[in-house]
Parts: sequence; structure tokens; C-alpha cells
Amino acid sequence: MDEDERARLAEFVASRTPALLRVAYLLTGDRNAAEDLFQSALARTIPRWGTIRHADPEGYLRVVMYREQISWWRRLRRWRETPLNPADEPVGADPSGGSDVRLAMRAALRHLPPAQRTVVVLRYYEDLPEARVAELLGCSVGTVRSRTHRAVSRLRELLPEVDMLEVRR
Amino acid sequence: MTDPFEHLIRATLTDLAEEAPIVHDQLSRAERRVRNRHRATVTMGAVGTLAAVLIATPLALAATGSDQPRPAAPNPTVEPSPPVPTPSGPATEPGPVAPSPSAKPGPPGVPGQPGPAVEPSPPGPAAVPGVPGAPGMPGGAPGAPGVPGRPTPTVKPSPSEPVVVPSPQK
Repeated sequence: MDEDERARLAEFVASRTPALLRVAYLLTGDRNAAEDLFQSALARTIPRWGTIRHADPEGYLRVVMYREQISWWRRLRRWRETPLNPADEPVGADPSGGSDVRLAMRAALRHLPPAQRTVVVLRYYEDLPEARVAELLGCSVGTVRSRTHRAVSRLRELLPEVDMLEVRR
Repeated sequence: MTDPFEHLIRATLTDLAEEAPIVHDQLSRAERRVRNRHRATVTMGAVGTLAAVLIATPLALAATGSDQPRPAAPNPTVEPSPPVPTPSGPATEPGPVAPSPSAKPGPPGVPGQPGPAVEPSPPGPAAVPGVPGAPGMPGGAPGAPGVPGRPTPTVKPSPSEPVVVPSPQK
């Protein structure tokens, strides 16, 4: 890689790192894991920079992140970690209204498997249609639908009091 | 997305994204990771090749240095004889083999030459017919009758024996 290409790569990384790190953080739910995921995806992208820099390097990097997140090898490595954040603790009643629901939802999102969490992020944060999600993850549209349905059902199971809290608000 | 639950998911994800870490100098770390990965790949390839050589070399030496003699190499000077055509049908050569009752008859076709007749052997002693005497002179007095043959013992005809021709005694 010559100096010109390396300068373009550095510019791309500097400009797109905040947005990509946000996605990585949503995918992993942990700061250190998000940084590790982003660096791992970037390390897979750098050797191919010469061929993708004229196309869509950000899209390539995002796809690498999505697929790396749900890969089997990475899941094995992640099972050794047990992140404990304050958000994992049970949430009590919040007189300020609403924040306890979001904290509970944040804690429930951590309990989703990586595949379901990735689908939730792509569908509800990136606002991507099901066909595009299926294309990015390399699976069928039916798989995306089933994962989304299971994820939402799981969140409803983890948050049985959400409906009551919503009514109270 | 009119479902309030899905709206809650969306709002929570938006809030969560704001807490993403702000990390600088990601490129140099990623490049270091690329170099480490490349080095690990090369190392693992070399280790794999070395392991394959270490495993295959004793096996190859054991295969070539065994006590059993090597199989003879084909002699290039000897030309292989052309294959002799063999009849496709069963070779039925008539021989002096006595036909057994259980023997199956041969296939119809060109009959072979008949072998020597197999005479059934009588169960008793062989009946030797007497020697006929010399015939008399025609036109003259009849001469002395010929010496009769030796009396033969009683010949018991066997069912399988053909007609017994008595000796001409006059």
C-alpha cells in the first residue's frame, strides 16, 4: 500500500469511526467488545483496501462487522466474558417516568443472542428492510423474519411489566 | 412501526448509541493486528508443513527399508506371449472315461469320435470260448472232427452281456 492509499484509508477511518463504533457498540453492548469488533473488522478490511476503496468501503466494513458479530468463533471467545454493568441489575420504579423502562429494555437487549441482537439493530436502528438485512447477513428473508420475531418475543418475555409501565405513563 | 413496544426498542437503541466509546487511533491498532495475523498465518503454515514432514518421513523410511524383498521388476527384454485363444465352450474331449450313469449328456453339436467300446466286465471268471476245429475238406469224407474246444465253464449270462455265441461244435 503506497502513501496515497494509506492517506485515503486514514481519512476514511477518521471520518467514519464514530458512526461505525456506535453500531459496534449496539451490536455488542459492551465498550471493550465494541472496540475489539471494530478493530477486527478493520483488520479484515485493510488487506482488501486496494480493491474496495473505489466501491463502498464503509458498506464492506459494516458487513464484516455484522458477520463477525454472529460468527461462531467470535461467539466462543465471547462466552468467556461476563460483562456486569449497572444496567444488568433489576430496575425499580422510576419516579422521573420512562427512564426505568429504557433501562430495563437496555438490560433485556443484553440477554439476546448475537444473531437476534444484530437483526434488531439492523431493523430498528439502521432502519433497513428485511431484504437488505438478509443480503447483509447472508441469509434468507425468512430467517430475518423469524429472528426478528423471536427477538421481540424474547424482549416481551424479559419485560412483562413494560405494558403496565406504558399505561402508567 | 406503530407498535409502542417497537418504538421503545428504537428509542432505547438510539439512547444506547449515544454512549458509544470515542476511541482514536484505530488505524494503527488495526494495522498492528493485520501484521500479527499475517505473522500467525505464516507461522502456522510453517508449523503445519514441518509437522507433515516429521510425520511422513518415518513412514516413508519404514515403507522403503522393510525386510521383505522388493517385488521383482518386470524384465523389459521378455516380450509377453500373446494370449492363447481358448474356446468359449466347454472342452469335451472323448476319453476312456467310463460313462457314469449320473453323467450328463454333452451338448448337442458335432459328435466327437467314439472312444473304445467299454465292455462290461462279467462278475464271474472270464468265459473263454473253445477253439473251433479245422473244417473238413469239401467233397471228401468228413474228416475227423476238430478238437473240441475246452469245455467252458458255465457262462451265466448277465443282463448287460450281449448275446453269447456258443462255440461251433460238430
